[in-house]
Amino acid sequence: MAMKGPTMKKLILAGLIGIWASGAAAHSPLESTTPANEAVVTEVPSEVLFDFKGDIRLTRVTMTHADHDGVKMDLTGHDGFIADYTIPLEGMGDGVYVIDWRGLGADGHALNGTFSFTVE
Amino acid sequence: MPDVWGVAAIAAKFALYLGVLTAAGTVIAALMFRLKDYRGFALSFGMLGLFAAIIVFSLRGANLTGDASGMTDPEMLGLLWSTPVGTALMYRLVGLGLLIFGLLVGHRGLCLAVVGGVIAIWSFDHIGHVAGRDTKLLDVALTVHLIAVALWIGVLTPLKRLTSSQQTWPEAADIGHRFGLLAAITVPLLIAAGAYMSYRLVGSFTALINTGYGRALILKVALVAGLLALAAANKLRFIPRLRANDHTAAVHLAKSISLEWLVILGVLGITAVLTSNLTLPT
Repeated sequence: MAMKGPTMKKLILAGLIGIWASGAAAHSPLESTTPANEAVVTEVPSEVLFDFKGDIRLTRVTMTHADHDGVKMDLTGHDGFIADYTIPLEGMGDGVYVIDWRGLGADGHALNGTFSFTVE
Repeated sequence: MPDVWGVAAIAAKFALYLGVLTAAGTVIAALMFRLKDYRGFALSFGMLGLFAAIIVFSLRGANLTGDASGMTDPEMLGLLWSTPVGTALMYRLVGLGLLIFGLLVGHRGLCLAVVGGVIAIWSFDHIGHVAGRDTKLLDVALTVHLIAVALWIGVLTPLKRLTSSQQTWPEAADIGHRFGLLAAITVPLLIAAGAYMSYRLVGSFTALINTGYGRALILKVALVAGLLALAAANKLRFIPRLRANDHTAAVHLAKSISLEWLVILGVLGITAVLTSNLTLPT
């Protein structure tokens, strides 16, 4: 009546591989950013803008540039759950800037994402 | 694949489901079937649920900072407390607190423990995919589903314990028979509620086949089908034979219950993955 151990194990393993293989593609809660993701700009922007689809509280934003260690960006001046953030950016010259962000949706869901732009 | 925080979140949720459902189910079963010797068992799982609830909450703090500092960061935890995540934690602390207090008071506190267990189960209505849909019928379906699951889990260990001695075989047969009668109502309810939630959350057959969420759900249903086969064997073969004083039935029933426990752990594990790491199809 019950399945034999090895058969059961194989079934579970096959199922798990199927689950992971399909990935868990999260949908971006971001409407847009300035600079946009993968944009190429000529000057280092003085600030980065986030426009979210819904209200969110950004909790950690980190900028990484070339060989420099990641730098925490300044989130002071923002309070509560809002959709638009303007965060000052410390210029580090030409190159690729990678912005990692983490936040909390008003419904309690943790959100995170990454975008990058290049200064030439 | 999830990162280290994702894996920790899945493990903590698994412990939370196991703790809350086993503790609540044991006290509900104790009340319905007048069980004895359930308090230590229910207390251990109540404590596990309480500990896991705090860890689940704290890990969400780590998710907000991307490192371990978020687990104890008052700002992050304060933020979380202001959202439905905090509301769910509050219900878990109050519910499991009542359950543990009720168990410590003694048999007189059993009703209090049951109320606490139901409150802890009800906490699952406040966050997650079902809460996100904001539909009362889904909330009711989830609560019915979880109470039926808890009762199923809760009756297993006391029943297995009663099969271990010849003196308690009549009691095991009686409880198994009464649970079988009750399960004829609660199991179809459990399946109907699960099917309704799956339909509302997944939405289409294509999404069921082509998304990680859908595939995990198929795996969960396959395990539940195995569980139903075991339960049917208990109800239709082993319990009637145990009532007729067939001694080999006690051994078979005990083995079947151990196997049921294993499958239940698998089902709870998949559920933890479904609720933490996989996004709903859109």
